[in-house]
Amino acid sequence: MTPEISRIGPPEPVGQPAAPAGPVSYDQLDDHELLRLHVAGNPDAFGYLVRRHRDRMWAVAIRTLGEPEEAADALQEAFISAFRRADSFRGDAKVTTWLHRIVVNACLDRIRRRQVRAADPLPEDEDRATELAGPAEDDPAEVRERRLDVLNALKQINSDQRSALVLVDMEGYSIEEAAAILGCAPGTVKSRCARGRARLLPLLRHWQTTRAGAEAPDVPAKTAAEAVGTE
Amino acid sequence: MTDSGLPTSEHLEHLDPDTIADLIENLLPAPEAHRAREHVKACPDCQQTFDALLQLSADLADEGRTDIPMPTDVAEHLDAVIVSESMLRSSTIGVHSLAQIREEPRRHLPKLLGAAAAVVVVAAIGVGVVFATKDNAPGGTADTNPTTVVPTGAPTLSTSDVGPDAQRWLENSGGTLLNGSADELACAKNFASGRPNPQLRLVQPAKVDDQRATVIGLQGASTQDIQVFVVTGCSESGGVADPFYDTTVTLRNR
Repeated sequence: MTPEISRIGPPEPVGQPAAPAGPVSYDQLDDHELLRLHVAGNPDAFGYLVRRHRDRMWAVAIRTLGEPEEAADALQEAFISAFRRADSFRGDAKVTTWLHRIVVNACLDRIRRRQVRAADPLPEDEDRATELAGPAEDDPAEVRERRLDVLNALKQINSDQRSALVLVDMEGYSIEEAAAILGCAPGTVKSRCARGRARLLPLLRHWQTTRAGAEAPDVPAKTAAEAVGTE
Repeated sequence: MTDSGLPTSEHLEHLDPDTIADLIENLLPAPEAHRAREHVKACPDCQQTFDALLQLSADLADEGRTDIPMPTDVAEHLDAVIVSESMLRSSTIGVHSLAQIREEPRRHLPKLLGAAAAVVVVAAIGVGVVFATKDNAPGGTADTNPTTVVPTGAPTLSTSDVGPDAQRWLENSGGTLLNGSADELACAKNFASGRPNPQLRLVQPAKVDDQRATVIGLQGASTQDIQVFVVTGCSESGGVADPFYDTTVTLRNR
């Protein structure tokens, strides 16, 4: 059930022409409005905001960290951080971009701490791994299977390569943006991506073959010269 | 040898995938890049690897655009964390980030430990519930783990244990321990607000003398003095606290 609340500030509808006058539900508020409500002291607005984007944030965390426990901890840290730093949010950015960045940073912090501890990889938990694909009723079997294949493959490459690949290939950050987030040179990001892809390739060959058999490839085969230009 | 002096592809070993991936990212020095490119053009196997690496990036991008449903237990846990955070914000307890607590443990120790305990305990309970106690009987109560310094779940105790246990929990959690569901915390807060000393220092679900209860601690005359109540009613959504036992404890300086 969505409780009714009084709107504060001028309406900024997203995806609809105008918010109805009078009491509105949280679902009708856009991200900026929810964040403003939260900063103004509303106790529920932040929860709604997080609920709206949690599947996206979970995807980022679980792909970057590989382990559900780590991903849950990272999200908890990220959400608490976002909760407390909401008043520093600049209204000209998208709330999702801001939240996404906080989640990414929380994940990377955990990776750095884990590297310091030099922990051994956690043992594989088949039941838990299957849960990672999400509730069975939500997605078709092939979507879940592909998701699991990618998650399992990502877990098998080193965390530096995985972070770079998730940021650049999966989350669409530019090399320069990823370098700034990761605190390294752009060339290092490119190198980690390249080596990461080389590691992933044999792990996902089956997946690619299956996809190629099921549908036309998304990217037409390029020649080496086309892809990297000519000297 | 070719006119350029470079060996033809059939005289070369296949390129390893690292080299081909580096070629795609323009990471190879010019002469090596040239040789690699020529090889890929002439070698069907390496061209296939080259194409597969490009396709892999495209496939990862496709996959990256899809969300992954957050497991229900994780979602519920994070909801509870946010509710607790909201309650902490609206209370008089100063709250600092976990990062601050980790980075400056000594400087902020006295006042941060309370806030840290509240947040960390919520985390411990949530994650514990999520990942460690999934096999607990539904509705059952988890006993205190003797190796932990603060309780998880709802420990079983008698009224005579309440004072010593509350004192131990608070001393081991830096002086403040807010535990339990959002409803339970809200109920405790309501109870506190009706008291002359409304500052909450302890909320802990427990089974006291065989009934589901909530141990509530309110700050007394000094920060070391805690008035401890055991109430029923707070474990139900929208419930009202009904105290049936109270005592006072004095925390030892740490």
